[in-house]
Amino acid sequence: MQVEVHPDTAFFLTGRRAGKASAGPVLCPALLAAYRDLTKLRYDFPLVLRANSKDGPLFEPLSALTDRLIEGGAERQQALRVERELRAQAAAAGAVAPAAAAKIDGELVDCDAAMPARLLAHVWRATQEGKAAAFRRTVERLIVKLDDILRADRARSAEGRSAASLKASFGDLHDQAFDFDSMSKFLGTVSVQTTLSDSRRGRIESTLAALRVQRFYPTDGAEALAFRFESCAAALQAFRERVPDVMRLAKAITLAELEVEGEFSSERHDALFERLAASGLDLRDLALFPDYLVCVREAHARGAELDALLEILAGGLPMKILLQTDDLLGEPLAHAGHVPAGAHGRQLAHMALGLNSVYVLQASAAQLAVQRERLLQAMHYPGASLISVFSGAGGHAGDLPPYLVAAAATESRAFPSFSYDPAAGADWASRFSLAGNPQPERDWPLHALAYEDAEHQRVQAQVAFTLMDFAACDARYAEHFAAVPRAGRGAALAPAAECVQRETKGVPDKLPSLFLVDGGDLVHHAIVDDWLLREARRCAEAWRSLQELGGIRNSHAERLLARERQNWEGERAAAAPAPAAVTAAPAAAAAPAATPAAPAEAEKERPADEPYIETPRCSSCDECIQINNKMFAYDANKQARIVDASAGTYRQLVEAAESCQVAIIHPGKPRNPDESGLEDLLKRAESFL
Amino acid sequence: MTMMATECLLELCEQRHELEDYQSGVPRWCTGCGDNAILAAVQRLCRDEGLRPEKTVFVSGIGCSSRFPHYMRTYGFHGIHGRALPVAEGVRLARPDLTVFVNTGDGDCCSIGAAHWIHAIRYNMNMTVFLHDNQIYGLTKMQASPTSPRGTKSNTTPRGSTLEALQPLSVTLGVQNVSFVAQAVDWIPESLFEIVKAAYHHQGFSFVRIVQRCPEWLPKVWDPWLHDPKRILMLDHPQGMQVSDGLKQVYKNQLAHDPSNLDRAREIASDTDRIPVGILYRNPEVPCYEELRATPGLRTTAKLKQGLEAELDKFTFWPQ
Repeated sequence: MQVEVHPDTAFFLTGRRAGKASAGPVLCPALLAAYRDLTKLRYDFPLVLRANSKDGPLFEPLSALTDRLIEGGAERQQALRVERELRAQAAAAGAVAPAAAAKIDGELVDCDAAMPARLLAHVWRATQEGKAAAFRRTVERLIVKLDDILRADRARSAEGRSAASLKASFGDLHDQAFDFDSMSKFLGTVSVQTTLSDSRRGRIESTLAALRVQRFYPTDGAEALAFRFESCAAALQAFRERVPDVMRLAKAITLAELEVEGEFSSERHDALFERLAASGLDLRDLALFPDYLVCVREAHARGAELDALLEILAGGLPMKILLQTDDLLGEPLAHAGHVPAGAHGRQLAHMALGLNSVYVLQASAAQLAVQRERLLQAMHYPGASLISVFSGAGGHAGDLPPYLVAAAATESRAFPSFSYDPAAGADWASRFSLAGNPQPERDWPLHALAYEDAEHQRVQAQVAFTLMDFAACDARYAEHFAAVPRAGRGAALAPAAECVQRETKGVPDKLPSLFLVDGGDLVHHAIVDDWLLREARRCAEAWRSLQELGGIRNSHAERLLARERQNWEGERAAAAPAPAAVTAAPAAAAAPAATPAAPAEAEKERPADEPYIETPRCSSCDECIQINNKMFAYDANKQARIVDASAGTYRQLVEAAESCQVAIIHPGKPRNPDESGLEDLLKRAESFL
Repeated sequence: MTMMATECLLELCEQRHELEDYQSGVPRWCTGCGDNAILAAVQRLCRDEGLRPEKTVFVSGIGCSSRFPHYMRTYGFHGIHGRALPVAEGVRLARPDLTVFVNTGDGDCCSIGAAHWIHAIRYNMNMTVFLHDNQIYGLTKMQASPTSPRGTKSNTTPRGSTLEALQPLSVTLGVQNVSFVAQAVDWIPESLFEIVKAAYHHQGFSFVRIVQRCPEWLPKVWDPWLHDPKRILMLDHPQGMQVSDGLKQVYKNQLAHDPSNLDRAREIASDTDRIPVGILYRNPEVPCYEELRATPGLRTTAKLKQGLEAELDKFTFWPQ
């Protein structure tokens, strides 16, 4: 028997429309319809990259800057007009150095393919300037101190005390007023014991030379090493070539610190320094040195380049790697079971999470302003950082601007934002964050869509933004959608987000549909084919695993909770018919009553006849020590105690008690019953017992 | 956690010092003098905090208490009367790597050195100042000091002093930029040590008034407080000093005082009946003068020479 299949259902199952070569007009998600012309809207772009970050953040949205200017007293209309003009200029040119009249100290960058690298380079430069300043301060201080040691030694030497040196240390004005020969002779008679040994002088001189010729943060216009690369392989090669120089300088800094403090000892340190040279530096030593910035396009991260990238990440080398994806979906090879081209970058970011020691930040270009703090953290992190960015500038989204495509990637979970900071704590809760994702507790974010129906009535619906909506932005994926004619809908439709959740076999009773709009903002219901629905399912699964890492719907916790609840209910059910158990409680309560007795017993340990001092209350006033320093002595905190009560007389104990300013000496009872005047002494001691 | 190789090398130099390593000579103070208790507490602080003797300096003025640097085996500067604070400020500026302590008496600080005291509070340079307040000039054998109670009979006031005593805590708390004020008494060593420690850890001008007995010239003046624990008001707060259980049993008069409350600190300081013991005020946000005036570069020999030449060039007449 032959079954008649409706053309819409056939399209859903096969992805092909009977009798039609193309899918009709180019459509885009209805939720994006209002935002297609961004130049008229106020949003996060363009960004202002500030030349001077002392008075504000390193970069911020132009709109935030405008708001601040308005708050600061700028005329509102004028400020907004300038903002609008600048936004239009930035959209046209990509980057603008605004006129001075705009009161902006920096560069404006719009969201395009060049923006992520430009932004990261800006942040990286500022970070490195901070590091360079700290490094120079350290090295200059060490150079000055080491130089002081050499100069002081030179002044003490025979040469330093020669008549010529002494004369040179005076100005020309008074050089006739002194007899430098006599002065030199006189100074020569003084024996100087603390001259430097030859080995120490040599060590200091070689350390000084190493500090002065370093090329990592050169001063005085010396040639600097390059630390910005466009390829991981080149960066890795440069890093390897510089390792000996890094070790030499790190060793020189450590040695200089020791010499400056006068703590260097050949016996202790020589062997250790030799071993240090042999074993190499710990990577945290590299924190002193500049970080590398590597900007790589995801499409190029293949073969040797990919190997180098993985080696950098696995080794935790101090490199900040921008992995930029321009085309996230890739060519639609629906029936070949392919891996989309852009998924590579996403996978690398996920894989880097498993390395545990790499700072990972994934965000679309539209999110970079929001992720500013994390971007700065990635730059300051002392190991490898992988910053995976989707630019949205793949060039397949028709008239949709890159910002909107990038934002759609975040909204649709195609390119979710996440960060992993190994320095933030010991557990995933501290390290991993899903901040920046819209409605992270849901599978897909829900938004309100208002439109006019065929009867010109306003309709408002809650619409999920899914991977399928994101795919609808890409002209290459148009064949996976089929607009349903207004009249004569043959099959029942259901929101595509609902269809993702329920997997059916065979012919579905309802077909997944989306709200799409055409160039004239006319709303269409469009059916999605089964292949794209399956892709959306995979995307949702990937998002759910991220949710688990981020502490949302943690399956382990839910399972544990269910088990504990079951146990608790079981225990409660078992305990319910046994009310007699209450009577057991009073017997158990009797136990703590014995506790207060313990201190009393401790006090009883001291015999009443023995003399003692309340040592913690001693004010170290010397009174008792002056009376008998064999009987009384100070402890490690310089507080008095009785070390030998038999080393003196009972009279001395009583006198010490009487003279103690804080009355903490207790003389006890006399040891020698034959001591003279005991009766009087016992009476005097009564108030101290 | 593993440690960097270079850190290990640097740590090899760290040495453990014992109390004896900070002791120098036998103090000449009278037997029973409260200075001994302060000395013991400070030496204990140095040991517990592992202060390197060659990186620590004690500066003093003139008076019994100002002999303090002689008894510390660290660097010391026994200065001139009333000028301990300016000397200490100079040390801070020239050698910011040193830990600076100041020991000054009630005469040294509150009389001849009063102007320096006021401005040192305002400068808020990072140093720890101990005001040894025994309410009398002891070294010169009993003359009334600014903190002597009204009616104190002394060589300069044989009929009894005529003015009310100056309260050092109230004065300090009234000066702009005050950042740390505490009070201790020499006869409660536990709290004395805790306060000295808190003062040391504060970044800024830490002012500690230590009520101190003079057994020679005013032996009875503190007896009402010494023998009546109820007249000691223990200031207890998680952000200030936390009174131990042992002390709580003896000194039952306790007050929960938040040291960030300046107005309340001033009220407590003006209590004449009880002696408040603890941290009255602490504000770590007040900037230190040396940080405000820090120059970006190092004062290298070349830089100093360049500056000097530039100044001298202003007055040089070049031959035509």
